[in-house]
Amino acid sequence: MKKLALNAVAILLALLFIFPLIWMFLTSLKPDGVNVYTVADWVDWSDLNTDNYIKVIRDSQILLWTWNSLVIGVLTTVISILISSLAAFSFSKLPFRTRGIFYVLMVSGLLIPTEAILIPLYETALHLELIDTLWAIVLPGLTNPIGILLLKQFMDGVPKDYIEAAQMDGSRSLRLWWSICLPLTRSAMVSVGIFFFILSWNNFLWPYLAITSEENMILSAGLPTFLSNNNMSLNLIMTASALAAIPTIIVFILLQRHIVQGVAMSGVKG
Amino acid sequence: MERSLSENKAAATLRRREPVHLLTELKAILYLIPFLIPFTVFYLWPVIRGAWMSLHVWGIQGMQKYVALANYTKILKNPDFYAYLWNSFYFVLLCAPTVIILGLLLALIINQRIWLRTVIRSVFFLPYVLSVSVVSFIWLRLLDAKNGPVNAALHMLGINADINWLTDHRFVWWAITLATDWWSVGFVMVLFLAGLQEIPTDHYEAAKIDGANAWQRFWGITLPGLSSVMKIQIFYQIINCLKLFGQVQIMTGGGPGDSTNTMIRYIYVTGFKKDMFGLAAAQSIIFCIIMLLIAVIQFKVTDRKNG
Repeated sequence: MKKLALNAVAILLALLFIFPLIWMFLTSLKPDGVNVYTVADWVDWSDLNTDNYIKVIRDSQILLWTWNSLVIGVLTTVISILISSLAAFSFSKLPFRTRGIFYVLMVSGLLIPTEAILIPLYETALHLELIDTLWAIVLPGLTNPIGILLLKQFMDGVPKDYIEAAQMDGSRSLRLWWSICLPLTRSAMVSVGIFFFILSWNNFLWPYLAITSEENMILSAGLPTFLSNNNMSLNLIMTASALAAIPTIIVFILLQRHIVQGVAMSGVKG
Repeated sequence: MERSLSENKAAATLRRREPVHLLTELKAILYLIPFLIPFTVFYLWPVIRGAWMSLHVWGIQGMQKYVALANYTKILKNPDFYAYLWNSFYFVLLCAPTVIILGLLLALIINQRIWLRTVIRSVFFLPYVLSVSVVSFIWLRLLDAKNGPVNAALHMLGINADINWLTDHRFVWWAITLATDWWSVGFVMVLFLAGLQEIPTDHYEAAKIDGANAWQRFWGITLPGLSSVMKIQIFYQIINCLKLFGQVQIMTGGGPGDSTNTMIRYIYVTGFKKDMFGLAAAQSIIFCIIMLLIAVIQFKVTDRKNG
C-alpha cells in the first residue's frame, strides 16, 4: 500500500515535470492560432503538422545559430579539457615549489562570477576587437578552473609507479601526460567535457552582450529576438523553442549516464 | 669506503640539484601556461581593470574623467540600488529554499525502488539541459494570463481568477521561481542522490533494530549524512540566485514597474543601455563584495557548527 502510494506520487510528479515540454511540442505542431488547453485539444492529433518548423527554419537564422552554438561549444569544450588536463597533470605529477601559489591563484577564479566582471570583460574584448566574433565567446569560456580541480583529483589516483616506470624508460613529461595520464582519466574527461559543453551551450548573458549581428548569434542569445518580432504567433515561438531544445534533448538521451555522473562529480566535490 | 660513496652521492645530487630544480620549476609552469593565458586576459585583467574603471567616468568610448570614489557614493545614495539589491535577495529567499527542499524530496523518492526509476530520474533532470531562453519562453507561454494552460488548469479546478502571473507584482516572483525551480531542481536532485548513495546502509539497519521510525531515521541519519552536499548546495544556490538575469530579462523585462529588476540587470542597464561603464563597474564591485561577504559568513557559520 505504502509502496503503491510512493509509486503514484513519483509518476504524478514526473508527469507534471514533463508536461511543459510535451505542451511545447504539441503547440509547435499545431496550426497557427490553435492552442492546447483543454483535454480535447490534447488528444486531438488530427491537425498536427510540421508547417511551423518549415516556416521558422525558412524565415529565421535558427539553423545558423544552432551551428554557431555547436562550433563554439565544441571548441570551448575541447580546448578547455586539454588545457585543464595539462594544468592538472602539472599540479598532480610534477612537484614544483611555486605550486601552491599557482593553485590558489587558479582556484580564486571560482570566487568571482563572470556576471560580476561583465563591464571590464566587454571593454577588454572591445580592445582586442573580439566583439561580434565567435572568439569573444570561446576565449572567456576557457577560464573556468573547475576542470583543473576535478581532473587533478583523478590524476592523483594514477599510481606513482606508472609514472616512475615510464620515466625509467626515458619518457619526457609531455609523453607521460599524453600516453599515461590522458588515457587513464578518459572517463573523467568525458564527464567534465559534457558538463563544459552544456555550460557553453546554455551560456546566455555574455553571448547576449558580446554578439551584435544576427548571423553571429548563438542559439540561447538569438532566441529572444523572436519575442521582439511581433508577427510571431504563440505556435511559432514554441516551434523555435522546440528547435532549440531538440539538440540538447537528443544529446541528453544519448549521454545521460555521463551527464549525470559529471554533474554529481562537479557538485559534491567542487 | 661505504661512507665516502654515500657522501659522494649526496654531493653529486647536491651539485645536480640547483640547476635541475629551476628547470623542473619552469617545466611545470610551462604546463600551466595554456590555461594561464586566457585566465589572465579574460579573468584577472578584467578584475583589476574593473576596479580602475570604477574610479572614473567611463563610457563605451573610454575614460573621460577620474572621479575617485564619486561613483560609489552616487550608488550608495541612490534608492534604486537598495530596491534592486532587495529584489535580488528576495529571489534568494524564494528560490534557494524551494529548490533545495524540492531537490532533496525528489532525491529521496528516486532513491527508493520505484517503477521506471531511471526514466523518472531522467524526466526530473531533463529541464536542466535546456537553455534559459527556452525555459523562459515555455513558462512565459504557460503562464500567459488569457491563453495559458496554467490558468486553464485552474479553471478546471474551479478557480476562476485569471491570474496575471507576469504583470501582477504579487505573483511575478512566484512565476519566476516556478520556472527556475523547474529548470534547476534536477541538478540539485542528482547531487543529493550522489550524497545519499554514500550513506552506509548498515546505519539504517542498526537504527531500525533500535526501533527508530522513518522520520527519526531521516533526521538522525539521512540529513547528517547529506550535510556536506547541503552546505555546498546552500552556498551555490544563494550565489546562483543572486546572479538572476536571463529569466527576468526574457519573461518580465524587469517589470511590472521595477519589481523584478535585479542587481545584474541593474548593472547591465547602467553599463550597456545608459553607457555608464564606470558607474556599472562600481556597482559590480559593490555587488561582488556583498557576495564575498556572504561566502565568508557562511564558511564561518558552518565551521563553528563543525567545531
